[in-house]
Amino acid sequence: MKLAACVAALLLALGMPIAYWLAYATWRAKFLLEAVVALPLVLPPTVLGFYALLAMGPHGPLGKFWYAAFGHGLAFTFGGLLLASMFYSLPFAVQPLMNAFEGVDPRLLNAAAVLGASPWRRFASVILPLSLPGMVAAVVLCFAHTLGEFGVVLMVGGNLPGITRTASIAIYDNVQALQYGEANRMALVLLCVSFVVLAIVYGVNRHARRLWTPWTGR
Amino acid sequence: MARVRKARAAAHRRASLPPLAPPFVLDVTLEIPAGISILLGPSGAGKSTLLDCIAGLVRPDVGCVRVGQDVWFDSQKSIDLPVHQRRVGYVFQSLALFPHLSVEQNIVYGIAQRAPQERSQRLEEVLQAFGIADLRGRKPAEISGGEAQRVELARALVTDPQVLLLDEPMSGLDEELKAGIIADLRAWRTAKNIPILYVTHSKSEAQALGDRRIVMRAGKVIDQPSAPMPG
Repeated sequence: MKLAACVAALLLALGMPIAYWLAYATWRAKFLLEAVVALPLVLPPTVLGFYALLAMGPHGPLGKFWYAAFGHGLAFTFGGLLLASMFYSLPFAVQPLMNAFEGVDPRLLNAAAVLGASPWRRFASVILPLSLPGMVAAVVLCFAHTLGEFGVVLMVGGNLPGITRTASIAIYDNVQALQYGEANRMALVLLCVSFVVLAIVYGVNRHARRLWTPWTGR
Repeated sequence: MARVRKARAAAHRRASLPPLAPPFVLDVTLEIPAGISILLGPSGAGKSTLLDCIAGLVRPDVGCVRVGQDVWFDSQKSIDLPVHQRRVGYVFQSLALFPHLSVEQNIVYGIAQRAPQERSQRLEEVLQAFGIADLRGRKPAEISGGEAQRVELARALVTDPQVLLLDEPMSGLDEELKAGIIADLRAWRTAKNIPILYVTHSKSEAQALGDRRIVMRAGKVIDQPSAPMPG
């Protein structure tokens, strides 16, 4: 839960500039960054976790940097798990945000510009409020996706109780130990959380559509 | 007085703004005095692109755009004032009220930086002038087409623009509503002595509003009452 909340919050902050850039930049090679962002969608979690582990290991670039900066390694720590989880859930933040930004009527941005709004004010006063459903979707999807994470966590975080053990791994451990009752209880919690999260996304989207329908009578 | 000299535009997209027009070649030399100038021409003549060049939504390849003593664009001197720094009022062909803001919030959007007292005074002024005071708390989705049109005009005019660009602002409205808005515009033209460029296909609107006519075809001005400025 702690990991999922941290990942969702950090990815919302990190995802917004990336999504904004992907939505509005005219750079020709933009598709390369789009591919990198979408990579975790098709990559097996163990592959992603393996490379993350190599990068965070004592001989990896990230591990070396972390050791120099903080005096301890990154692999099998909460920080390392957080970083790997953020990369793993990146498309779940960027895609809804990008779709939401692209969905903002361009006429509104032009109207804001001629009314004297700087690019930053256009973002804050037009794009952001009209992208609220996308932001909610990004947060809840990242939260839910991280909650159900298994492969990456096992590779990068190990299974340290209280530090890197997530709900999915705890369920797996319980099944291995033939404690089906406990596994069932945790699985049910995950199922309910996932349902509530998706219900929130669809509810917010529906409410926003009703509230912010542009004037289209002409 | 607004001047557009040899504005040749290939409709370049601004980096942070979406494109308004497809690639298009415009070659125009034009001088627009204070008062209402009606811009006529068939669809695709370049009328909207010309307005976008003046507003800064489209960057011309070469040429200059001057309003009064201010230079907004000059390709030779590499001057290109960003859209938000040009004091322009622009009512687009299709309505663009912010759907998440109330009528009042829409209108004060362009004067948000002004002192609160001045802001509320100017708001009341345009709300009364355009007869939309009772709509102030409503969202755009809750008002009619004619009301939305008035709100758009009020929002464009409240900023005290140096030049007003109106791109078919009354298409799709019935004659009664048009007459009311025409009366509003005429009153505003008398009160504020600024150049107003008004694109329309309607002869009745042109006759009711126009101080002068400019005719465009295929990206060029083919008829205007006074000779273009030299050079």
